[in-house]
Amino acid sequence: MPPSQLKQLKASLRESGVVGPQQSKKQKRQNAKSGVGAQNRNQRNAALQAIRDRFNPFEIRPTATRSKFETTTRDDNSKKATGRRPGVTKSLGEERRRATLLQEMNSRNKVGGLVDRRFGENDPTMTPEERAAERFARESQKKMRKESMFNLEEDEEEFQLTHMGQSLTLDGTTVDGMTVDDFDAGDLEGAESDEEASRKRKRFGEDDEDAEDFIDFGEDGEDQPERKKSKAEVMKEVIAKSKFHKAERQKAKEDDDDLRDELDQELPDLFEALRGMKAPAKPEPVKQDLDTMNPERAAMLQIPEGKDTEKEYDQRLKQLTFDKRSKPTDRTKTEEEQVEEEAKRLKKLEEDRQRRMRGEQLSDEEGEESDKDSFFQGDEDDEESEVDDAAAFGLHTTSYEPRPELAVEDEDDFVIDDDLVETRSNVSLSLDGSDIEEEEFSDEDDAEESEEEDELINGMTLPTASSAAASTAVQVNQTADGKLAFTYPCPGNHEEFLEITKDVPTQDLPTVIQRIRALHHPRLHADNKAKLGRFAEILVEHVSYMANESEEPSFAIIENILRHVHSLAKTHPINVAMAFRARLREISEDRPLSLLPGDLVVLTGVSTVFPTSDHFHAVATPAHLCLARFLGQCSLNGTSDFVTGAFATSLCLQYQTIAKRYMPEFLNYILNALCNLAPTELTAKNLSFPLRKSQQSVKLAPAKKVTPRKLQFRDVCATPSDAQAEEDLKISLVTTFVSLLGTASDLWAEKSAFIEIFSPVRAVLNHLRQSFKSKVFAAARDPLQSTLDKIDAHLASASRARRPLLLHNHRPLAIKSAIPKFEENFNPDKHYDPDRERAEANRLKAEYKREKKGAMRELRKDASFVAREKLREKKERDAEYEKKYKRLIAEIQSEEGRAANEYEREKRGRAGKR
Amino acid sequence: MPATVDTSSSKKRKSTKNAGAPSKRRAVAEEDSLAETLSKVQELETQIAESRKYYNNIATLIAMLNVEQSAKKPELAVAVSLCRVFSRLMAAGNLSESSRDAENEKIVVAWLKERCLEYQRALLSIIREADTTSQVTALTLSMRLVKEYITHISGADSSIWSGFFKDIIEALVEAQDGEEVRAEFVAKFMKEYEDIRYQTFGQIAEYAAARRKSDTIEILISLLSACDEAPSSDHEIDVEKFFAKPEPNNKRLRTVHGHKRRAQDAWLAILRNNLSQAQRKALLRIMVHTIEPWFTRPELLMDFLTDSYNEGGAISLLALSGLFYLIQEKNLDYPQFYAKLYSLLDADLLHSKHRSRFFRLLNTFLASTHLPATLVASFIKRLSRLALNAPPSAIVVIVPFMYNLFKSHPTCTFVMHREIRDKKFAAEIESEGMEDPYDPNETDPTRTNAIESSIWEIETLQSHYHPNVAAIARIISEQFTKQAYQLEDFLDHTYQGMVQGELGTGEKPLRKVPVVEYQIPKRIFTDRLLEEDGGVDSGAGSFMRGLWDFSS
Repeated sequence: MPPSQLKQLKASLRESGVVGPQQSKKQKRQNAKSGVGAQNRNQRNAALQAIRDRFNPFEIRPTATRSKFETTTRDDNSKKATGRRPGVTKSLGEERRRATLLQEMNSRNKVGGLVDRRFGENDPTMTPEERAAERFARESQKKMRKESMFNLEEDEEEFQLTHMGQSLTLDGTTVDGMTVDDFDAGDLEGAESDEEASRKRKRFGEDDEDAEDFIDFGEDGEDQPERKKSKAEVMKEVIAKSKFHKAERQKAKEDDDDLRDELDQELPDLFEALRGMKAPAKPEPVKQDLDTMNPERAAMLQIPEGKDTEKEYDQRLKQLTFDKRSKPTDRTKTEEEQVEEEAKRLKKLEEDRQRRMRGEQLSDEEGEESDKDSFFQGDEDDEESEVDDAAAFGLHTTSYEPRPELAVEDEDDFVIDDDLVETRSNVSLSLDGSDIEEEEFSDEDDAEESEEEDELINGMTLPTASSAAASTAVQVNQTADGKLAFTYPCPGNHEEFLEITKDVPTQDLPTVIQRIRALHHPRLHADNKAKLGRFAEILVEHVSYMANESEEPSFAIIENILRHVHSLAKTHPINVAMAFRARLREISEDRPLSLLPGDLVVLTGVSTVFPTSDHFHAVATPAHLCLARFLGQCSLNGTSDFVTGAFATSLCLQYQTIAKRYMPEFLNYILNALCNLAPTELTAKNLSFPLRKSQQSVKLAPAKKVTPRKLQFRDVCATPSDAQAEEDLKISLVTTFVSLLGTASDLWAEKSAFIEIFSPVRAVLNHLRQSFKSKVFAAARDPLQSTLDKIDAHLASASRARRPLLLHNHRPLAIKSAIPKFEENFNPDKHYDPDRERAEANRLKAEYKREKKGAMRELRKDASFVAREKLREKKERDAEYEKKYKRLIAEIQSEEGRAANEYEREKRGRAGKR
Repeated sequence: MPATVDTSSSKKRKSTKNAGAPSKRRAVAEEDSLAETLSKVQELETQIAESRKYYNNIATLIAMLNVEQSAKKPELAVAVSLCRVFSRLMAAGNLSESSRDAENEKIVVAWLKERCLEYQRALLSIIREADTTSQVTALTLSMRLVKEYITHISGADSSIWSGFFKDIIEALVEAQDGEEVRAEFVAKFMKEYEDIRYQTFGQIAEYAAARRKSDTIEILISLLSACDEAPSSDHEIDVEKFFAKPEPNNKRLRTVHGHKRRAQDAWLAILRNNLSQAQRKALLRIMVHTIEPWFTRPELLMDFLTDSYNEGGAISLLALSGLFYLIQEKNLDYPQFYAKLYSLLDADLLHSKHRSRFFRLLNTFLASTHLPATLVASFIKRLSRLALNAPPSAIVVIVPFMYNLFKSHPTCTFVMHREIRDKKFAAEIESEGMEDPYDPNETDPTRTNAIESSIWEIETLQSHYHPNVAAIARIISEQFTKQAYQLEDFLDHTYQGMVQGELGTGEKPLRKVPVVEYQIPKRIFTDRLLEEDGGVDSGAGSFMRGLWDFSS
């Protein structure tokens, strides 16, 4: 026969070590210190639970499917799910429903109610004493917090002003100093409730401990009466203490200061005493300690009290609350630092350009990283490219400065560069140059601009499009003596611009443009940005118009307009780019093979406004194509065609100065031109380039003496006046082409196919030298010879540097593997779907199904709970009714009984009388 | 009838009394005369049909044709009615004589034949000289006549084809402003009726046998090339669909072979004539699709093609496809074909408009994997040399083409990647650089040593100014993972297309904000502020300023 239940319990308690020999005090202390106690407690709880389970076998229900052979089933699930406890879950669910559903049911169709927010109410874990203690502590804390307004020792965020004993500030700042509420009481409450909440949160953590405390009365018994201080409380105490000390220190210091001041003030007296005479009394200086005070407070102290002061105080206080807290500003930088920064910025820009040249993407993170990398390599690179650049410029190799972008002393450039950040850089754009007068003028203009700006802001209307017709406005504005008007409307298209400027002399055009830009500064009106964008497009159009229109355009003006365009391009890049692209489109559609002077100027503008070195650029790339197409296919009719070609080829090199990309059309064109211009026919066969004959012969005649000169832009459209001039032009064309070839050989010296590219060039140049034997070409012989020498030198070095190509040093490609994917720790319950999307969808489906089932079950249980509750309520009501009914019946019966008795008695009495 | 006309005209006169009365009157007068002649012609025609005694009306009608001096303004109505008259006569057998007929009958027939011939001549002169509508009518009438002849007069078959029909063809060829009438002939007769096509070929062959002017040959070529669809060998020649019923013993007319022979003869006659350069190119261009199918013995074209191929330049390029056809189909043995092909790769090739055509063929010629690697390498090297001076649209073709060659001839990949294992040689190269072993002047592609060389040219083109071209050139230095490039996608690019690809056709917002040069240059054209830089012009654009004088 097994032992009794009690005995079994005792035995198992002993076995699991819940009850054992008593520990000594020392041991207990040690355990408490090392945290073993907590661990023990956990163990003990688990053991107790196990024992309870064992003694109540009906609580646990085994799982429906048992694992048959543990060795074969590798399922993890089979181990963990030992059984479930329907009783526990049921009662839990019931409990929860009673807490939520039942509440809802009861409060249905009811409005309002009271919520008890008192501390510790509805908290069964707290004893009434604890509640009282806690409430008291909070109250005293609240008192502590608003001690006094002059409490310097308080932290700033704790600072609180009161007026007539009421808080004025919208303070309510908590430790992180962020809550701001403008209702006092609410604020207080808010602070409180905040704290309460945190307190509550904490309590959940403490609950367990408390519960345990109740259980293990045997051990921690002595701690029980005194409630443990929470960490927050401890911290608060510490903070209060340190504040107190800090205040003490400060007070001491202030005392010292006062004393020192006193002494300082007395010092003159002392001197006087020493000197033996008295100086006239000085006006008393402002009290020193005011400086150290809060200015508001100082002001309050200074001004005698009264209602005004209070009012002012209120006012100031309100201001103060809305004031921004001052923040430390960046230190003003020294000049050197500024210069250094500027240099760094420029360097960064230059590196960006380089990256674009290599065709890399400009993402910010990458940019920064590689920025650092190239910063260290930078110097070497720069030096290298410097050398190349210098060679590229050929003409003055010795005195080449470092890159102009990095020449930090160059102030003019920085004036312009401000333009990067701000758009107002008209100063640098005026035609100041060397002309002092003009410079003054531009200064005036600038001042004027700011004046104008002020006026405009003060209510003068802008010359909008609606205000009268544009052209008439100009005419009105123009004064009689032909001076320039100060206001111009912003033109909406090129015709309007021409209308505006038709009476303006060409040299004043920049001023007009400047004024238009100033008048329509984007800061003055929201629409101005769009207007200026349109204006930039018009300027681009006007540049080509100017170059096409007049026989000899003024390049100073064109240059200025281009610079304006450039500066506008920084704020309106899209407009300017679109305008240039429109020009290019016009070229490619209307006259791809016969460029006008205006087109050449536009193409030059592209080279200055946009970085032509970019791997891909929305404007530069089509511009390249336009040039190349012209060079590859243009007609060769006479010298003027060759002049245009020469300009185009020079532009090609200008475009490629930095990127050094190879342009086949460039070489083809120049070699062709030289063959056509040479006095004798080139007899060699197997030319590497297709030879195109000029339709009318442009051969140099060996009869006259010719002198090469610098080519002029106007040669593009002008025809030479006489035969001599024509021959001169031809020989200058030849020298230009030859020097272009020299520059090109410098540019492309590093190319691996340099030999193949320049051997034909050399052949043609040699031929040219042969045919220049005659005396009349003496002047052209020297540059030819020097170019030949240069190309020879480059050829020699190129052939020395030539190596067989090694383009395929890639890692060999991996052979595709056909081994099936083997899953380690394969779990049949898991889904190994290689299709991620499908797997995800399946997972979601399963989850949905599970959730649905769960929700349905819950709803069903809810319904049954509700039904049960209703039934119970009904039963209660019925029972009540029954009771009442019975009571009433009984009452009536008893009354009736009484009446019957009375009647009986009466009856009997009457009968008795009778 | 006249009464009604009168009333209507009087009405008209009334209504348009004021404006343009005289011109109206003239028009009405003309109308009247026209109606008059019409009725007269009608009358004469009916008379002829009624009785033989009115045969003299034929002469009157011919006289009315109005073609004696010049055939500029013929009376078409008369011509039509004459045609009807003669057709009727032929159908009635009045135009054929038999030995049994009486003498005076014979005289009448002879007289009628005479008139018929006269009428034919008149029609021919109309075809030659008159305006287009008259020409077309005359052509239709003459063809009608031909048909009547053949159907009603037995034995006149061959004589008509070689007589009247020949004259018609000649008249057609020599007709002034005859494009329309020739087109009419081609559409209505030559394409419609196979026998007419057959006869036309014969006539043209005869006509072109003599030396002709180049304009005439042009016309002949256009006539011939109009029949671009040669009948296939299993095609049935249907006699029922002929224009005129042929002689029963003419077998050639009933076989495809016979037709082809005729066409072949015609083409050969033209090819033998002295052709201008342009005509030669035109012929070569239609060679494969139009001419060769007609030939029963294409080898007859061999001479023409080889001559053209040896000519060089664009003609060679064009002859290539014809030649290829012969090689492929007829087993033509062309010695030194690849050497010749190699020599075609010259500086002008990549700039010529036949570039795409050539590359398509070259792709076929070099498709065989059995070609020697040295030869393929020579082509690769030569193409890469040419690419150095080529327009972007050509480079774009060359590089993928090379890629495909490398894929099919892996031995050639040494020109891209060559590691020198020989230590001595490596040291030599290290000290003195490598000399290109490729010999560009060698004409035999198997001896150029190109396989020992490297394609530095393409490596250079990786820094081409056009980003897309550069990107394409870069494929040869990346891993060759792609099986092959579709060459067709790279052909037929042009400058215009590339520019348009960059710029688009209209205003379209840019996807990315274009980068602007961060520094505004101090000067672009002039020497502005030069003294500030110490008088030395450096910085952006100084190159241009050094070369050009912008002062005005």
